[in-house]
Amino acid sequence: MAMAAARRALLSHLRVPVLARPAAAAGSVPAARLLSSATEEGSKGSFLDKGEVADRIVSVVKNFQKVEPSKVTPNAHFQKDLGLDSLDTVEIVMAFEEEFGFEIPDNEAEKIDSIKTAVDFVASHPQAK
Amino acid sequence: MASRSKLSGIQRQVLALYRGFLRTARLKSPEERHRIESVVSAEFRENARNIDRKNFVYIEYLLRRGKKQLEQLKDPDITGLSTLEINKVYKPLNLK
Repeated sequence: MAMAAARRALLSHLRVPVLARPAAAAGSVPAARLLSSATEEGSKGSFLDKGEVADRIVSVVKNFQKVEPSKVTPNAHFQKDLGLDSLDTVEIVMAFEEEFGFEIPDNEAEKIDSIKTAVDFVASHPQAK
Repeated sequence: MASRSKLSGIQRQVLALYRGFLRTARLKSPEERHRIESVVSAEFRENARNIDRKNFVYIEYLLRRGKKQLEQLKDPDITGLSTLEINKVYKPLNLK
């Protein structure tokens, strides 16, 4: 019961008013572009060449700020070999989404932990462009 | 926060929340996106460093608060960054 009281006090202390401001028109463009590209690519249903995918994946990883480019090999594991933590891995998988123009669902994103798993996933995805 | 085994349920929730913030940030203007990403990244990493991973009660509280903040941020009429920054200022330190 004391804990409940402390919790209530804490929550009231943390409560903050939300500031409303007019939306920027540009804000909606990225979403529209993402949906549009997904629709376009969906109709094609083609797969990218695995070699090309590997090259682009390696390039994205090498450009990641916390990665030492010389350590990026086709067999590199993000955490074991490149020293990234799990938050970094989330960021890098989202960078793959932007590179290839499609969204990776959470349950699939969780499985991508290395260059190899990333290449395998993207190369087998018909919406990748 | 590096995991050596399969992700725990609560860790999975944390990463999903982080991913949710980054997705929502992508829908904002480039300047606002950059600021949101910086604030969110700093706060998640600070919490990862400072909070005992076995303090489930506090972590679950932070997850609930984070989910509310994310819902607010999704509203295009709201610049959630102010909310994030204010909450960061008020956040109690070393509560374990």
